[in-house]
Amino acid sequence: MKGFLDYVPGNSFLHKLNPLTKLVLALMICVACFISENHILLVAIILLNLAIAKAAGILSRGLMLLKGLTKISLVIFLLQLLFIRGGDVLITLPLNLLITERGVAMAFVIVLRLIGATMPLALMLSITQMNDLSNVLVTKLKIPYKYAFTLTTAMRFIPIFANEMSGIIEAQASRGVELDTRNIFKKIKFVLPLCVPLLITSVKKIEGSAISAEIRGFHLRTRESCYKGYPIRKSDVGVMFFSAFLVFSAIIISGV
Amino acid sequence: MIKIENLTFKYRNSKKNALENIDLIIEDGDFVGIIGKGGAGKSTLTYAINGIIPHHYQGDYYGSVKIDGDDTFDKNPSELSLKIGSVLQDIDSQMVSSVVEDEILYGLENFAIPKDEVEQRLSSSLKELGISSLRYRTIESLSGGQKQKVAIAAILALRPKVLLLDEPTSELDPKSSVQIFQLLRELNKKHGITIIVVEQKIMLLSEFAEKLAVMSEGKIVLNGKVRDVMKHSSELESIGINCPRVVTLSNRLIDRGVDIGKVCINLDEAEVMARGLIHG
Repeated sequence: MKGFLDYVPGNSFLHKLNPLTKLVLALMICVACFISENHILLVAIILLNLAIAKAAGILSRGLMLLKGLTKISLVIFLLQLLFIRGGDVLITLPLNLLITERGVAMAFVIVLRLIGATMPLALMLSITQMNDLSNVLVTKLKIPYKYAFTLTTAMRFIPIFANEMSGIIEAQASRGVELDTRNIFKKIKFVLPLCVPLLITSVKKIEGSAISAEIRGFHLRTRESCYKGYPIRKSDVGVMFFSAFLVFSAIIISGV
Repeated sequence: MIKIENLTFKYRNSKKNALENIDLIIEDGDFVGIIGKGGAGKSTLTYAINGIIPHHYQGDYYGSVKIDGDDTFDKNPSELSLKIGSVLQDIDSQMVSSVVEDEILYGLENFAIPKDEVEQRLSSSLKELGISSLRYRTIESLSGGQKQKVAIAAILALRPKVLLLDEPTSELDPKSSVQIFQLLRELNKKHGITIIVVEQKIMLLSEFAEKLAVMSEGKIVLNGKVRDVMKHSSELESIGINCPRVVTLSNRLIDRGVDIGKVCINLDEAEVMARGLIHG
């Protein structure tokens, strides 16, 4: 899932929304996922996520996310299936393991929730510039700039580290380390030592970034410093209402 | 004016002094090149000028660096940045944004430049470096050379009094390197900006800089007008700096008693010299 947080430029309706609106929409979809225990609603939310991806012109990334999350979900599904017990016993397995009706139902809920709640945040970050996000956090939500800068810098560094790591891996592979082995244990044995050079370059890069911010007046910045304005337009209000509606319907349908 | 007096600095956990007894005066409007082989302390010296030392990197610090009379010890790098614009060596870590426009805006916002002035500064600094077309590109999609230009544009937009650059052409092709130095000369001549540039390419320095400080093992071993420094070509060679061929040639001629007047530091001068010798 390399590059799943990189910004994808575009001109869609969603790109043009206020970053705050996008954040609210993403968070509200998460909230709706956590409120709901209804399978159909959860599937509907996942479809909504894909629809959002389509509208923003990043459907392929949406599908890539879905695929990646499904793989992780499979493992979680199996574990939940065995650990949650309740209702009728469907299958009895050796070692006193049971698969129960409630186990199946809850395992589905948890997996669908995981997918439904992870996608919107990743999608939101794909169509929002980090700087815009940090500016909005500072100007609209009054978060101190120091923290907003930390958050966005951390996000920005993820792809940089991913590149760095693939560079290190290529360098090792070209020197004959069998990193493409199919044996997972062997692979871990080869990749683990590479974390050391990654850590060293990371610390160096972060230090460089801190220096660079300092010598460009980081400490002089105030809340009023932001040049770009982020007005809340009608479309933003509409999307915010839609977000509220989502949470509201999740509450009604789940009967919480 | 930048006045460095008796500066000695040792990084924490290091055994050797990175800088030793540095004395250097840089007048307003100077164009100074700093040269020396790797590990000579060039970057450390730039850190001492822009306040990264002693505020960010700590260690044993003796002596003083004064910018227009203010000791860098008393002002943090952000305050110093109002006067001194620095372009770092590692361009990738210098970038704080993901889009070129935001990268240039970053400093302007921090400096609280009036909003009606921002656009003009933004577009003119992009134009000066010939990268107006890159304005909306993501930093990640740029080549090394383009990033270097963006980094310089971001500092230029702040209109500093002093421009401090650490190997600004390391990622550039020869033609773009010359363009950058031409731009630096223009900034120096037209706007009176003091230029301090660390550079390995001695050809560029001998052509564009007015003064040269040569560093070796944390010390400044030669310092003065470019032509005066170039007279010491054998000393330069001994500390690992290859002089331009015209310099070596003219120095050899002078050593052998041929009267050519002065050391030639560029091709044009060498041509004049050669013509003079031929026509007697």
